[in-house]
Order: sequence, then structure tokens, then C-alpha cells
Amino acid sequence: MSVTRRELFSRLRSGGLLDEAPLNGLALAARGHEEDSALSFWGQAGGRGRGAGAASQAAAPSIKLSSNENPMGPGRAVLNAITGRFGETMRYPFNVSPGDAQLIETIAAQHKAKPENVALGAGSQEILKVAVWGYTSPARHLVTATPTFENATGTARRMGHPVVEVKVDGQFRLDLEGMLANARGAGLIFVNNPNNPTATVHSGAAIRDFVERVRRISPDSVILIDEAYHEYVTDPAYETAIPIALNTPNVFVARTFSKAYGMAGMRIGYAIGMKDTVRPLARLALPFNISVLGTIAALTALNDPKHMAAERDRNTQARDFTQKALDALGCRSTVSHTNFLFTNVGRSAAAFRTACAAQGIQVGRDFPPFEGSHARISIGTMEEMQKAVAVFRDVLAPANVGGGERA
Amino acid sequence: MVTRRDFVRTVGVGAAGALSTSWISARGREDSVWSLVEPGLQAQAPGPIIPLSSNENPMGPGQVVLDAITSAFGPAGATPGRYSSATNDLRDALAKSLGVTPANITFGCGSTQILRTSTHVFTARDKALVGTIPTYEECAGYADMLGHPVRAVSLDRNFRADLDRLLDASRGAGLVFYCNPNNPVATYVGARETKEFIARVHRVSPETTILVDEAYFEYVTHPDHQSMIPLAIEDPRIVVARTFSKAYGIAGLRLGYAVGHPDAIRKMNAWDNASGTSSLNVLALHAGIAAIGQGPAFVDAERARNAAARDFTIKWFADRGMRSTESHANFIFTNIGVPARQFRDGCAAKGVRVGRDFPPFEQAWCRISIGTMDEMKRAVAVFGEVLGKPGAIVAA
Ligand SMILES: Cc1ncc(COP(=O)(O)O)c(C=O)c1O
Ligand SMILES: Cc1ncc(COP(=O)(O)O)c(C=O)c1O
Repeated sequence: MSVTRRELFSRLRSGGLLDEAPLNGLALAARGHEEDSALSFWGQAGGRGRGAGAASQAAAPSIKLSSNENPMGPGRAVLNAITGRFGETMRYPFNVSPGDAQLIETIAAQHKAKPENVALGAGSQEILKVAVWGYTSPARHLVTATPTFENATGTARRMGHPVVEVKVDGQFRLDLEGMLANARGAGLIFVNNPNNPTATVHSGAAIRDFVERVRRISPDSVILIDEAYHEYVTDPAYETAIPIALNTPNVFVARTFSKAYGMAGMRIGYAIGMKDTVRPLARLALPFNISVLGTIAALTALNDPKHMAAERDRNTQARDFTQKALDALGCRSTVSHTNFLFTNVGRSAAAFRTACAAQGIQVGRDFPPFEGSHARISIGTMEEMQKAVAVFRDVLAPANVGGGERA
Repeated sequence: MVTRRDFVRTVGVGAAGALSTSWISARGREDSVWSLVEPGLQAQAPGPIIPLSSNENPMGPGQVVLDAITSAFGPAGATPGRYSSATNDLRDALAKSLGVTPANITFGCGSTQILRTSTHVFTARDKALVGTIPTYEECAGYADMLGHPVRAVSLDRNFRADLDRLLDASRGAGLVFYCNPNNPVATYVGARETKEFIARVHRVSPETTILVDEAYFEYVTHPDHQSMIPLAIEDPRIVVARTFSKAYGIAGLRLGYAVGHPDAIRKMNAWDNASGTSSLNVLALHAGIAAIGQGPAFVDAERARNAAARDFTIKWFADRGMRSTESHANFIFTNIGVPARQFRDGCAAKGVRVGRDFPPFEQAWCRISIGTMDEMKRAVAVFGEVLGKPGAIVAA
């Protein structure tokens, strides 16, 4: 690839490794419907300066349903807490109180663990990255799924470490049997539960059984259970794997504040597991990787469980509404336990995406091997989903099926 | 344990828990994450403290930066819920202000990420890291973790980098960590001498990369003061590291960058890089853009403010017979005549936090960050009590 193309490519992708489609100016465009929010401080603040929210050059407001973000943001309690701390932005995170040490303690306490069981990451992506750095090698492969969150896959490939991708099963769930069959001698096994982009979840019992069987045939393999969407799960059979991780060697769970907690822009995630498993991750992750404002935001959010319950309900309602509307159009979605749907749109994801984008709705990128039929649609606010569904109806109307071109 | 061995084979974190170079054992852990696991390293003081231990800007960022952070939340405060696409805006703004192209720049979650990435990319098991001792330890600590050799070179009599010895050590090395001004000793090597040194390294060891860490660049008051950025963009064997943590006053937001030749930047990006979808938070991105927008006036004022408080503090010590090195940073390195630990504990008990041990000078020297003039006036009163040299002796 030529220099310029590479650069262009990386600029389109914001220089990051994230699996998202290129962001354009519209992505962060004016979110007019939120302007009448009661948050007077923020309402006032938003009007001036060149904040991310002030991408006022955008021609028309666009609704971003492409990155599995929380459209509500972190919520008022968190915002209020952050503003109180502006005077400490010149201090390193270890020099403020509460600081990153307290964040680690609070996360640990929430899971009845010790600080030594927790490692912070600048987003859970940093956790995934250092896990691949540390736990795979030319001789110890990565076992992952396809499709799944591809961060670990990309990191391993760039290092030249072998990767075994196991296709999801007929219900678009992780094929745990298939992954088990490839576990022997693996360095790292990436289990995304619920799975992005297919939205499906495995029960606590299934995960426990998987871990036990991997441990029997390949006890040195490390199992990473990525629970980025944990807070959105509504399946009663689901359980977090954190208790397993805290009691089983070579197992850890990754969590993030980017999804239900509404802080993708703040870059905070963590790993939790037994000390020997987590400690190498903490050493490979950057020191003081969480900003002082991110620290206070996360601490405040952790102390507000009611907000999280409300956010889950809000998402569930908007998700159900969207899923039913798509069902009515003959477009079936997988059983979602996340803040996105994986939907058979009866045409290529590219065609669907382009048609939606033309009407101001951004949906997810291609997810091979299902890019010929399935699209990933993140769940926005109910109001956004009502607008989006109107566009989906237009784009997916029976007359348009198979066409893909804009009517 | 097999897990450990895997680390040795891959990134080589084999020495976990048993790091041995003096650089590493010298790390007082400015890293709170590990101070939790290895407790007892953070001194606690009752009541309000004057933090003179981490070389921060006591004034904080300018008002326009705070305004930018505020507006980065968006109209309803929801923008932090989104991954940020502002990395390229920051890159463009920075490129313009430095007179380089966007391809010359890569970002880090603090310059710490730049230092680690450079160490990863430019050192190897047979390509050592070279630096002075003491210096800022991030590169050495990371090289040690990777199992890459580290060569340390003593300073000269004036606590400046001994360039002849550094040159000798650089032969065949992967990376020379050239911290200028040098933390913790605060000394600076002028631009002419630095350029000569780089040319000599290139001559004797053409494959060796030089990482010029200009974290304290903005605070330098030396007559021969120039950035190595103009050299770096022309030469794939020179990389300059910079940070917004010091003069720009946003250490808490975590933003640093590297400037170099596109080939060097590409190599670094191929291993790791930072953006609004990886390790850079949205508030840092917008704060950085605003910080650059302040122009040179902000930095000039901050340099002058720091120099005045620094001169005052150095003079206070000199008047009592205690020598400091020639500081071009926002901290001083001073011969207090007693072990740093004793001084530190005494100060901490009275609400002033000063620097940790810096071997091999921990028996008599201490690093003291420069706060505001008011803070320094209160701090020297405490220093006087702790060192048994009360303010009454003040000559001036
Ligand atoms: C499964 C999964 N893990 C991790 C991430 C990364 O999140 P972050 O780095 O923002 O925590 C994502 C984001 O889309 C994800 O879907
Ligand atoms: C010389 C030097 N380089 C780099 C850093 C790292 O700073 P940051 O990661 O905040 O940019 C420091 C911090 O003290 C330093 O003194």
C-alpha cells in the first residue's frame, strides 16, 4: 500500500483500530433534540467553542447507529462530578483524590475482589491489546470467533501470531464446541459474551462448562471473556463470568465504561481475574492511562446503580421497538442482548448502509461472512429509532428488496 | 509457570516482580496502579498539601482550554458517550503550529505511550537502550520488561549528560534516550552540542535511533535553545517526544506526541498508536486543540512565571549553602545534605510533598517541583524547619 493511501486510510479510521466505519463530519453532528435538556450548564456550554458537539457545519443532522454507543451519554450525576474537578486537570491521576487507585479499589469491591485483581485500560481495547501482546506468540495461537469484535484478531495478525477463527453457529451464537476443539495449545481464547456484532449471548452454565473443559485439555491457555455489553443483557440465564475468573487460573473478564455507562469518549475499561493472570496485563498497559476526569466519571457512575438499571430499560424498550418494526418488514434479527441488532436485511450490508446514509441514518459496517445479508444497527434513543425505522421502512419496502439502489 | 514463559517468548515480561536494574528499583512508582499492589509508596499528609513531586504546572491549563473541555461535552453533555473523531483535527492543528505535516506526528496517551512505543520499535534483545543515569525511567523500565538490554551512563560533574561517554555507549545500540532537559537533574544541553552529538552517533552507529524527549522544552531558559523537531522530520533516526502534561498543564488528561520522519512515525504506528477510538479521550483531544490555539504567548508567560519561582527557590537554598544544578525545567535538583527520604518524610508531615529517591544521588539530593510563587514561599518555610535552617537566616 502506498504511503498516501495508507495515510488516507488511517485518517479515515481516525488512526484507530476500531472496527467502525469511517466517521464523517455528520457523525457527531448536532443532536438538536437533546438541546432542550434540563442540563442548563451543558446547554449553555455547548453553544460556544469548538467542542465535539459543536460540529455545526454539518448540513443535516444525522443519526449515528454504527458504533454501539450509548446515545444518552454518561448522565447528569457524572457530568456534575466532572465539572467539579476541572481545577485538577494539571495533576497526574495518582495525585488526585479520589484517583485511579480509588477507582481500582471501587471496581474490586464491587466484585468482592482485591485491587490486585483489577487492571485498568484506556478502554477495554487496551486490555484486549495487551492480552494479545502478552499471551499469544508465534507458537501460541489466538482462538476467536467470526464474526466477533476483531480487535484481538487484528493485534495478533499484526504481530504475526497465528489466529484460528471459528464461525458462529446457526443461531449466530459463539460456537463454543468449535472453539474448544481449537483450544489445545492456544495462548489466548477470546470469548465475547454477548457477541459483537451478532448480539447473542451464552448462559452462565454454558460459559462455566466451556471454561472447565478448556482447563482440562489446555490448562495453560488464557481465556478472555469480553463482557462489554454485560449491562444490557436481559436473558435470565446469563451470568457474568467474573466469579469464575476470580477463582480460576488463566481466566479473566474484560469490562468497559464505553457502552451502557455512556463514556466511550472517556476511554475506560478494565480486566478482572486472579492476580497472576491480571498482573501482566497491568504491567503491559500504560501507567496512568485513565484521565483524572475519566476517573471521577467512572467512580460516580459506579455509585449510581439506579442510573444503570434505567439505562438498561431504556435500551430494551428502544431495541424491542426497532426489532418489532424490522420483523414487520420481514427482516429477522438475532436474539439481541446488547445495544444493537444484527438483522437480515435481505440485501448486502453495503447496499442497506448506503441507502440509509442517504437519509441521514448511519448503520454498521460489513461483518463477513454475513455482509451479503446482515446489517448491524446500534440502538439510539427511542426518538432516534422512530426516525430510523421510518427510513428502514422506506429502504426495506418490499419493492426495494434486492435492489439496493436508492429509490 | 508456563504463563510467565510465554511472556518471555513474546514480549518478554519474564522478570515480572523481579526487576533488577537500578533504574527500575529506583522507580518510586509514580505509578499508582502498582503502588496499590506494592503498597506504602505514597506518603499521606494531613490537610491541604503543596504537591511539589510530579513536575506539574501548578497553574493548570489556560481558560480557553477549560472552555474547550466544557464544550467538548456537547449541548446535552452526551458527547462523551461517543468515540471521538477529533484526532485528525488535533493532528492538523499541531502540524500547523509546528510547521510540519500530519504524517510527521503520532499521538500517545501521555508521552509515556510514545516512550514505550519507541522502546518497543527501536530496541531488541541485541539492540540496547542507552541513557543517562539518572533519567526518566519509562524507557528503561519498559526495555527491562521486554528483556532488552539497558546501558546506563553516568552524568558529568555538573549533572549534565556526558556526551562522550553516551556516544561510546551508543555504538550498536537500538535507541538512545536523550532527555533534554533531563528529569530528574534539570540540566540542559544546548542545541549546538546536541546536534553535534546526534551527528557523531550517526557516524559511529548509523542504525541507532535517538529519542529526544522534550517534555520540559517550554521551560528552558538557555541561550542556545532549539527544538530538534526540524532535524527529526528530515531524519528517520531521530524522534522527538513532547507532552501536554508539563507547561500546558493537562497532565491529568493524558496527551503526548512524537514528531519524526514519516518512516519513523509509520514504524511506530505499525506497532501501536493512539486516537479517539483507542487511548485518547475526547476531552484531551479538544483540550489539546485549544491549548495549541493559545499560541506562544501562553508558553512565554508560563516560562517566565516558572523561572521566577524557580530562581526564588534556588536562591533560598543557595543562601543556606545548598547547591542546585542549573535548572531549565519546572523542578530543581538540590543538594540538601541529608537523605532524600528523611527530607521527604519531614516535608510530607508538614504538608509539602517533594520528589522521591533518585539513585545514585538519594543520599544527599532531592528533586523539588516548582509550584506557584506563593506555594514556594510557604514551601521554603517548611524546608527551613525540616533542614534546621529557619527563615530567620535569610540574607536578602
Ligand atoms: C465486544 C467489545 N469489546 C470491546 C470494545 C471496545 O470498547 P472500549 O475500548 O471502548 O472499551 C467494543 C467496542 O465496540 C466491543 O464491542
Ligand atoms: C522527561 C519526561 N518524559 C515523559 C514524561 C511522561 O509524561 P506524560 O506521559 O505525562 O506525557 C515525563 C513525566 O514526568 C517526563 O519527566
